[in-house]
Amino acid sequence: MKQMSFSFDVSRCSACFACVVACQDQNDGGDEPAYRQVTSYEGGETGSVTISSLSIACAHCGDSPCLMVCPTGAIFKRNESGIIDINRDLCVGCHSCQLACPFGAPKFGKDGKMSKCDLCHARVVSGLQPACVRVCPTGALIADTLDNLSRQKAEEASLVILKSTTGKQTPL
Amino acid sequence: MSNHSELTIEEKLLGKIAGEDTGIEIKKTICSICSHNCGIDAYVKDGIVIKVEGSAENAASHGTLCSKGAAMRQYLYHKDRIRTPLLKKGGRDSTEFEAISWENAMEIAASHLQKIKDESGPESVAFYVGFPKWLRSFVKRLCLSFGSPNFCTESSTCYHATALASELTYGYQSSPDMKGTDCLLLWSANPLHSDTSSAKGLLKAVDHGMKLIEVGPFVTPVTKHAEMHLRIRPGTSGALALAMANVIIEEGLYDVEFVNQFTKGFEEYRSYVREFTPKAAESITTVPADLIIRAARLFAKSERAAIKSGASPTVHHTNGLQNHRAIISLVGLTGNFDREGGHYVVPWSYYHAPNGLDTRDGEFEQARSAEGMPARVGSDINPIWDKLKKEGQSVYLPFQIKSGKPYPIRSVVGFGMNYRMWPGSDFMKEALNKLDFLMTADLFMTDTTRLSDLVLPVCSTFERQQIKMYPGRFGLWTEPVIDPIGESRSDIDLITDLSAALKLNDPLFSQGYKACVDWILEPSGMKVADLEQHPGGCVLEKGSMPPYQKYRQNGFPTPSGKMEFSSSILGEAGLEPLPKYEEPLHSPISTPDIAEKFPLVLTTGSRLPMFFHSRTFRLPWTRRLSPDPMVEINPVDAEKRGIREGDRVKLSTPKSHLIVKAHLTGKVAPGVAAMYHDYPGADVNELIYPDYRDPISGYPGFKSLLCEVESVT
Repeated sequence: MKQMSFSFDVSRCSACFACVVACQDQNDGGDEPAYRQVTSYEGGETGSVTISSLSIACAHCGDSPCLMVCPTGAIFKRNESGIIDINRDLCVGCHSCQLACPFGAPKFGKDGKMSKCDLCHARVVSGLQPACVRVCPTGALIADTLDNLSRQKAEEASLVILKSTTGKQTPL
Repeated sequence: MSNHSELTIEEKLLGKIAGEDTGIEIKKTICSICSHNCGIDAYVKDGIVIKVEGSAENAASHGTLCSKGAAMRQYLYHKDRIRTPLLKKGGRDSTEFEAISWENAMEIAASHLQKIKDESGPESVAFYVGFPKWLRSFVKRLCLSFGSPNFCTESSTCYHATALASELTYGYQSSPDMKGTDCLLLWSANPLHSDTSSAKGLLKAVDHGMKLIEVGPFVTPVTKHAEMHLRIRPGTSGALALAMANVIIEEGLYDVEFVNQFTKGFEEYRSYVREFTPKAAESITTVPADLIIRAARLFAKSERAAIKSGASPTVHHTNGLQNHRAIISLVGLTGNFDREGGHYVVPWSYYHAPNGLDTRDGEFEQARSAEGMPARVGSDINPIWDKLKKEGQSVYLPFQIKSGKPYPIRSVVGFGMNYRMWPGSDFMKEALNKLDFLMTADLFMTDTTRLSDLVLPVCSTFERQQIKMYPGRFGLWTEPVIDPIGESRSDIDLITDLSAALKLNDPLFSQGYKACVDWILEPSGMKVADLEQHPGGCVLEKGSMPPYQKYRQNGFPTPSGKMEFSSSILGEAGLEPLPKYEEPLHSPISTPDIAEKFPLVLTTGSRLPMFFHSRTFRLPWTRRLSPDPMVEINPVDAEKRGIREGDRVKLSTPKSHLIVKAHLTGKVAPGVAAMYHDYPGADVNELIYPDYRDPISGYPGFKSLLCEVESVT
């Protein structure tokens, strides 16, 4: 079974919020909270503050606490992609998933039922990227199978190591 | 993974998958929100846009959008969209309008404008284009044909002063030529928020070894990618630039050949910058002297270096024009002007696109010469602006409307006009209320349209045609992807109809938009039809980019034919010819008495990623990301004042005050307060005096004045 996942590069995120709005555009977000959220954190002393930002939605965990606590079986894992999805017809709005999820992914709208990021299941199956990934201006957010993400990270890390031994010197 | 065919039709519809089975079609258009006009794939079903996405084939925007563009659907279908022409019932104070027909609206507009023209002369009608900019050439042509010299734009407070500084120094404008640039000096610019389509390219260049030096008062998302951050006190760019020049000259790091052969006034400049030792500059800018030295060395020792500044943050100061001259002088000083990987001079083609096409927009605009018409608004106060920019300086519109001097302005025809963009916006509002006839064209009912006698509904890029040419050789022509909302129309149709109603007998206008654009493009050998074949855009084959180092053959287009450290034009006008540093009019150093009561430096209007001026406040998707008007202050200053995060505070200047929320953040340095402009219900421009301005450009000092923040909880 393939496991799809998001990968996020914190050094690339600029907190531009494009992912949040693209998610709402894709999912016709109304007054309900967006499935994706960006949070920024300031660290360091006055004068040398650094600002880091994180874009987060459902992590589509391999071992999903939301799925395990769901009393009606509304939450399920898609065999072909590992995407965690919900059959809203079965949801009774008990909020168990919300309590169990460490990422704050399950959201509850006016109808009292849970909804959340489905990693743009229909788009992914159609060979497209999730809306948030497609819009990301810096490339901080990507989505792929865990195998591919792992291979890509190995390549990137190797390049950094190689460049550090042959890179340009700064003319200081 | 399962294949496409396994999705049910319901799943495909829910996922908005385009195709014959879903009836969802992808149509090509461009974003309406800002001037970057990123390419958009509009997903359209049954005549309604159901989703937007960046066009992957757009060579300028590379398939991305920002949070504003991604919210385009809420912009298009907003309840505030004006659906019919509206005529005000009752006097100026009334808030009631009646819907009227376009035919009726044009008759009313023409009769009012003609009456004022007959009574007071055509110059008493000013034409103004705010945002967007694409219609400017058409409005200017209408304005001059009508006989008025008073064509004004929002460039009276955005970018033109930056260009003016460059023209006074080099004779023309240039921009960073990001081809193998080794060092980029980002001066008060945060492209990761204001130019998101360039983000990937910028970060890729950094990955490939380009060194970034960031200058600016804020910690930004760029900061973590920068080699160093020179965090200036707002309004002190000039002092920093002069100190960098001091180091570069003292250490012999400047380009001796270029300076000797191609510049004017170097000796005076060299002698002046001696005052600006890194230590002296530290006491002005608050940037540590050793950091100034390191930045100057890195910039000057890099083989190819360039400076990218924001459109206007460096010139939104009462000393802004000279500050910017000091900044861009560093380009010539280090021999980086008009060379690969440094700065590149590409003349602008239609409209404001450096793409190597030969177009005749200037000729198109001047259907009738302004020669012999009365002097433009502001020309008596800012003659340099008037001479080089050849348009009214609209910062003076409210003064002339109120005083009637040197002649009355009785009517304004405003497109995308927002009086809250003026310094002392309450002063501008009073002026507009004095007019005999105010007509505006807009997409939405706004604070400005509500003041108008006649309001005309125009539509977005999704509902009309537009030619768009990007910097570089890429362009496109759009066709509408949906029907216009209500009876809204393209600005161009309204301009050409108004011209006809005024009986101006314009032979080009009568043929419509496409014919006008073809006329403008004629010398380039390209036609609209060439672009029409490629709805997502194409390479402009007819554009030929000019060579580098044009000055070696032709000299510089300045009075001396050289790059001018000492400006002939400024000198002849009796102004300071060198890029001398003056303190902002109000600052802790220039006005210690004011600073006693108002000790913080207030800087306004720096971009937030989800807003572009006032354009996306009304969209729930963007507004929810930053719902409340806030003043940002450093936790150190907050603690001194007993202010906690989210407290209601009074933000005051000598002119006025606002009640807003406090946001405590290390993004701003101690001693600085920052606020975004034009928030509904908290317009920070009301806190700025309408004549708090730069003496040469007329630009308001939006980004350095004095204030105090106090708790009111």
